[in-house]
Amino acid sequence: MKMKKTDIGVVLFMYAVCGFFYYHMTKLKASSQTYPRFTIILLFGLTTLYLVQMLVNAKKYGVESGVDEVFAGFQPRQFFFCLAATILYLVCIYFFGFYISTVVFMVAVLLFLKVPPLYTAITVVVIVGLIYFAFQKFLGVKLPVGTVMKALKK
Amino acid sequence: MLDTLSLMGAGFLNALTPINLLMMAGGVAMGIVIGCMPGLSAAMGVALMLPMTFTMKPETGLIVLGAIYCGAIFGGSISAILIHTPGTPASAATAIEGYQMTQRGQAGKALFTACYASFWGGLLSCVSLYFFSPLLAKLTLKFMSAEYFWLSIFGLTIIAGVSSKSMIKGLMSGALGLLISTIGLDPISGVKRFMPSSYFAEGINTTCALIGLFSMSQVFILAEKKIKARAQATKFTDKMSLSREERKILRPTIVRSWIIGNLIGILPGAGASIACFLGYNTSRQFSKHKEQFGKGSIEGVAGSEAANNAVTGGSLIPTLTLGIPGESVTAVLMGGLVIQGLTPGPELFGKYAPMTYTFFAGFVLVQFFMLGIGLLGCRGFAQISRLSDAILIPCVTVLCFVGSYAIHKNIMDIVVMLSFGVLGYLMRKFDLNTAAVVLALILGPIGEKGLRNALRTSRGNISVLFSSVVCWVLIALCIVGILSPIFMNKLEKKAEEEATGVDPDDKKPVDLDIDND
Repeated sequence: MKMKKTDIGVVLFMYAVCGFFYYHMTKLKASSQTYPRFTIILLFGLTTLYLVQMLVNAKKYGVESGVDEVFAGFQPRQFFFCLAATILYLVCIYFFGFYISTVVFMVAVLLFLKVPPLYTAITVVVIVGLIYFAFQKFLGVKLPVGTVMKALKK
Repeated sequence: MLDTLSLMGAGFLNALTPINLLMMAGGVAMGIVIGCMPGLSAAMGVALMLPMTFTMKPETGLIVLGAIYCGAIFGGSISAILIHTPGTPASAATAIEGYQMTQRGQAGKALFTACYASFWGGLLSCVSLYFFSPLLAKLTLKFMSAEYFWLSIFGLTIIAGVSSKSMIKGLMSGALGLLISTIGLDPISGVKRFMPSSYFAEGINTTCALIGLFSMSQVFILAEKKIKARAQATKFTDKMSLSREERKILRPTIVRSWIIGNLIGILPGAGASIACFLGYNTSRQFSKHKEQFGKGSIEGVAGSEAANNAVTGGSLIPTLTLGIPGESVTAVLMGGLVIQGLTPGPELFGKYAPMTYTFFAGFVLVQFFMLGIGLLGCRGFAQISRLSDAILIPCVTVLCFVGSYAIHKNIMDIVVMLSFGVLGYLMRKFDLNTAAVVLALILGPIGEKGLRNALRTSRGNISVLFSSVVCWVLIALCIVGILSPIFMNKLEKKAEEEATGVDPDDKKPVDLDIDND
């Protein structure tokens, strides 16, 4: 099996995680270091083992990019819109509460993904209704109202 | 013996309460919907519904999760038969014969066979669940701190190998999870470790991590792909039934597949996707009508479906007794157990025996609901399976948000869930194992307590970790756990090759939206 260049990122990420935890571990009391040290050594050792395997594969079978395989059929516009909308949704919940944010988020994403307006409306009503009855009424979960809405109510 | 029988009887009485029956029906229907949609997986469905079980009694919560699990495994067969796209990998072998039957105008018969075989496979798997679980749980009474440490390592070596293309990557995922599990207060001294804020004092919220790694990451996977219209589900007019003669033919097939599925389920590291191919191959080997295979054989459908549903009961045995889930769905189920404050092992069959036996009885009854709802709702579920990813993306996102918020009613939980969603997405893109991270988050604290207590009692002498026979057995099992994926991968490849006639490594990637978790 050829070595994939994309795996270099995996190795670097794991080493970065080890480095981060090691740095913070050194600040702990000696007795509290035992288990984190064990896990850091374990992750470091396994990552190094994987690195060695990658290098052996590179020597034996050659190197390939791996990007084509990992991101085959990747739709950047669609993906990043959904990701950004999800993050914005989280921010909106904090300010405007759950229900308003959910309706806006769902309508925006559904229309962006070219779902016909009628299906969009049905989907939003079904999901909001489901959450209202299942979580708020049945389970008694108080969903966030939002800081702006709270201020307006006052 | 009499005690066990009375517990079993009481379990059935408890399980038959209206709320439990309602939850079984709801869970099975939800599971079938999740299973028949090719973009969603059983693990994802169980993770998504986990927060809904918090306010329920532990047994009711577990029954719901078990119902979703069984429903999802069966649900995969509906889309496999009607649109030739398995809803879950567990139904991949069902698509071979099931779709052939659909093309021959026997979709109703294929669906009935799948439902009938799933019912018997699931029901028979409960037999082993009842009889082997208490025996295995008694074994853990011999466990001390050092043994618990090795048990956590064994659990990780097992899950790390599952659904990972590279074993080392699977183990790396487990080690990463262990490291993440150290965030929070030191369980022995109470010292703050790796905590950016006091929110993390109790460590990473396992449920948020579960929802993020299994459900939110799936949203990102769906969002990166081009949205395609799903194939039209075949409308069928033939009767959903089997003749007495056909049922007689299926009997030995179902029994064989039950044994196969059950053993595969008990073996940590193997799952329903392997069982369905093994069940299918065995049904072909023993069939008196081999010529029908490849053209639409009811034995092929039954062999695959009975085996994948027999996995459900079997896989619960190591999960409930040793705390070692063999696959992603049971890892999530175990998360549900731990969140309810229950620890897998002898306590479940002692102090909490009434709860455990109610869950077992519920699991038996779930199979009846699966049969009823499956048969009555096949046509409707077939239409749901066509639901576009464009609709699933925002719906699942909203459910992930509300689910993670519902736990502590804290927006930080959503932030954690979303972070794990992104981490899970990247991990899946780079062939790392999300199930291993989840299990490490659950087993990490158990292992840490075991290791530190063992070292404390031995005054730092590391030989305490190798001081008992049980320790050595567990160490040997760890080695077997590390090596088992090699064997399991070969077994799966061989079974798939025999079933499809194509080497899985050589075939072109098929456009199936199935999730390997």
